[in-house]
Amino acid sequence: MSKGLIHSKNDDVCVATTDVRKGEEVRCAYLENPASYILVKSEEDIPLGHKIALRDIKKGDKVLKYGRAIGEATKDITKGEHVHVHNIKSLRWGK
Amino acid sequence: MNTIKGYVRENGEVGVRNHVLILPLDDLSNSAAIGVSKLIRGTTVIPHPYGRLQFGRDLDLFFHILSGTGANPNVAGAIVIGIEENWANKVADEIAKTGKPVEVFPIEGNGDLRTIEKASRKALEMVQDASEKHRTEVDISSIVMSIKCGESDTTSGLASNPSVGVVVDKMVDQGAAVMFGETSELTGAEDIVAEKMVNDVLREKFMKIFKDYDGTIEREGADLLGSQPTQGNIKGGLSTIEEKALGNIQKLGHRKVNCILDYLDPLRREKGGTLCFVNTSSAAAEAVTLFAAKGSVVHLFTTGQGNIVGHPIIPVIKITGNPKTAKFMSEHIDVDVSDLLDLKISLEEAGERVFNYMLRVLNGRLTAAEVLQHDEFSPIKLYISA
Repeated sequence: MSKGLIHSKNDDVCVATTDVRKGEEVRCAYLENPASYILVKSEEDIPLGHKIALRDIKKGDKVLKYGRAIGEATKDITKGEHVHVHNIKSLRWGK
Repeated sequence: MNTIKGYVRENGEVGVRNHVLILPLDDLSNSAAIGVSKLIRGTTVIPHPYGRLQFGRDLDLFFHILSGTGANPNVAGAIVIGIEENWANKVADEIAKTGKPVEVFPIEGNGDLRTIEKASRKALEMVQDASEKHRTEVDISSIVMSIKCGESDTTSGLASNPSVGVVVDKMVDQGAAVMFGETSELTGAEDIVAEKMVNDVLREKFMKIFKDYDGTIEREGADLLGSQPTQGNIKGGLSTIEEKALGNIQKLGHRKVNCILDYLDPLRREKGGTLCFVNTSSAAAEAVTLFAAKGSVVHLFTTGQGNIVGHPIIPVIKITGNPKTAKFMSEHIDVDVSDLLDLKISLEEAGERVFNYMLRVLNGRLTAAEVLQHDEFSPIKLYISA
């Protein structure tokens, strides 16, 4: 099974720690308590180190990682989708 | 308390390397300096593109970097070669304050060949003298180190950076000094760094430096989007500067920051451990060059996608949490902590692994960057010359 890690309990994203194939179930463990995890079905191929949405995120919503906003969604993102520069942007730069 | 074997210099500072430095004062003097280094085994030359017609704060910073590099305790003795004598003497006089041997050779009136001959005779003497300096056992509290990440990806925030954070805590607790910087790369986490300051005075100083930097970007009418995150960062999965910054600060550990150094400030060590924010650019070689000029004798460099930077006089230890980088760029990687991603080891174990490797390097083991001749020396330039 593919794996991933979640930095903080309220995070919207899981970081893939293996290369993930479309349709695979990813076991996303919480860094703070690795025994607890959530399973998320990947909607697309996601390379090691890239992020998977843990829940549906609406356009304009802040995206949380490390328990903090790392940017906002520039389009609707569904659970299991790849989260990256094509669908989130910085809140600080590039306005 | 851990101990290491280092070179105790004339002023009591401890180095972990024993370089005889051939330092060109300006771009024009690179050829003569390289000439000496080709004739005399055991010299280290650091060519660079600057040193002519700089002025004001930019010139002060240039002198600070050159003299600081020569004064670094990893250097046993230094030869400064300049097109003319005055500026070369300024740098040499600063280096001489440490008590180590330093000599100036001007090219005007001599030409390259006569300069090379004279400087080589002195270099020969310095190398032979340096070869009789021996390592002695000293407390690790005498060490000044620095940290920075480069070509980061999401594994940096998950594995390599927090592992270095463990080392930073250990070093500060043992009374050593640790410097970090990367002003632009704190964007989005600057409030967390500000919270780490030991008092309000330092907090205000930090925020002023941070905002001044932001001001520079605005004055240029620029936006760092496109530069930060870098293309390598994006390939590695980092989407925004905020995400990169939150990963970056994982390497700061948990101690309070009790020192802030702007470009020209010399390091002042606090009793009971020093953790210093240094105003630097986030470019790898520029930051490491400034840290070394401020006295760092060893650098912990974390990388995700595989930054390969080194420095001519300080060992740069490369640490990665990315299993692909560890595999495909293995010749550059000193410490692999990618098993932390699989939760096969604990963060403390990963930190211990980095710490133990650093002890070996402090005791003399050469880093990958040293063996691969990664001798990047990149003084920060603040603005155009006259």
